[in-house]
Amino acid sequence: MTIPDVDLAVIKRLSGDYLDLPFWEGTARHELRLHGCALCGRKYWPASQCVEHGDAQMEWAPANGGGIVHTYTIMYHAYAPQMAARVPFCVAVVQLDEGPFFHTNILDCPIEDIHVGLRVEVRFQLDDSTGLTLPMFVPADAVKSKT
Amino acid sequence: MRGKYAIAALGVTEQGIKLGRSDRELRGDAIGRALQQAGLERDAIDGYIHCWGEREDLRYLGLSPNFSWALSCGGATPAAGILAAVGMIEAGQAEMVACVYGIAPTSGYIPGNSDLKSIGAYSYGYPSLYGTMGAASSHALHARRHMHRFGTTSRQMGAVAVTQRGYAAKRPGTTGYGKPITLDDHQASPMIVDPFRRLDCCRDTDGGVAVLVCRADRARSLVDKPIYILGAGMGQNIVNWHKGVPYDHHDNIAPAKARAFAQAGIDLRDVDVAQLYDPFTISVIMQLEAYGFVAEGQGGPFVAEGGNGADGVIPTNTAGGQLSGFYATGFTGIIEAIRQLRGEAGEGQLGKADIALCSGHGLNAGVQNTWNHATLILGNQP
Repeated sequence: MTIPDVDLAVIKRLSGDYLDLPFWEGTARHELRLHGCALCGRKYWPASQCVEHGDAQMEWAPANGGGIVHTYTIMYHAYAPQMAARVPFCVAVVQLDEGPFFHTNILDCPIEDIHVGLRVEVRFQLDDSTGLTLPMFVPADAVKSKT
Repeated sequence: MRGKYAIAALGVTEQGIKLGRSDRELRGDAIGRALQQAGLERDAIDGYIHCWGEREDLRYLGLSPNFSWALSCGGATPAAGILAAVGMIEAGQAEMVACVYGIAPTSGYIPGNSDLKSIGAYSYGYPSLYGTMGAASSHALHARRHMHRFGTTSRQMGAVAVTQRGYAAKRPGTTGYGKPITLDDHQASPMIVDPFRRLDCCRDTDGGVAVLVCRADRARSLVDKPIYILGAGMGQNIVNWHKGVPYDHHDNIAPAKARAFAQAGIDLRDVDVAQLYDPFTISVIMQLEAYGFVAEGQGGPFVAEGGNGADGVIPTNTAGGQLSGFYATGFTGIIEAIRQLRGEAGEGQLGKADIALCSGHGLNAGVQNTWNHATLILGNQP
């Protein structure tokens, strides 16, 4: 697999900074990483300082890639021309098994089957417009039925 | 705090769609109206708080204040601006502070953001990678949780739209004037961002607003009906992000409410009218719960039974709010609160309107989806 380069300028345009580079370098390798407090182990995303131990060291470590749909919406209205070909699509907030929330799209799932509590697993997808590899999520059942 | 400071004057321009005037011109018009109401010349303004962020107003408007601030916490800014004005007066830095707002998104003028076509299309940060765009998508995440946890329905959200349109239909100068809707209209309106239909969402309007804030005695010497600032408070929902429950809370209202009500020395039963920040119908339901007008989870049935109507438990957004009135950010509610308290609400005037609760809500961050919340309690007696 060719590992795409991560462009810091893209990250900065998305309100991130170099502290998030290990995350995006991880997704480029199809690895979902979370930022964890070295003291208590609480996990965060994106790069954060621990709310309990603000000055503790933070380390990036792999997550298990699973989670549940905590909340979601289906976008029907194309707010911008580039959205017209895409609607309707789901934007969900997945609560990862380690705790953090993650905005994402739910793929390989009919819109009517998406619900709060749906168990999902990560699937990586290269985004041509940014060059970033995006964590997407698919129903865990769909993963099982393929394997 | 209670009764020590007042809003001496309120200047409101025409509010509506495609007025064809620039944002700066609207701010100038609003200031002119406020000054005229207070019987003051523009050199009386010695503090200027622009509730947004733009740098050239003072030159264009011919103002000469000691300070000019651009304050930005989204829809919480008008209440925060009034609070900042009080702070500067208290600190001896000013005597007459203008808090000013004006945008013209439907005429191509969003201050400092000439590329943005609509406030509703605002998007940034990592969530934008996934096609989130607009405030509707971020508020829909709260609505979905409320529906999941409490069984709140689209028809209950529709009740907010219908009741508020009922207020607006009788109020000249609103976008909903003369245009009542039914629950069937709501249910037939197209899905925009599930669970929001078109009639669950407010829309951009153009307009300017200015209030003049000063000491209460000064206000009494200038005008017949000063509006007193009884209490204020703020909260940030980031606390609930840290606790892992940001989507179950529209805002972190508890600390804002506690401080504002303590300053005012009142409780909920003393509030005659509520003006709650309402870009989407769910916002009204969740705030009525968080302020305690109804128990958590019961906001849907409460509005379905007319609890927010003119004869209900707490008349709410009595000129149609943002949903059916106009979108002047947090000023939408403050304007109507002042009109009710002055007895200037025309056909929509409530029988008793001495104390008004206003809320503001704004400046969410992309990933954590948490906003500032502002509580402002106004009264027509100190």
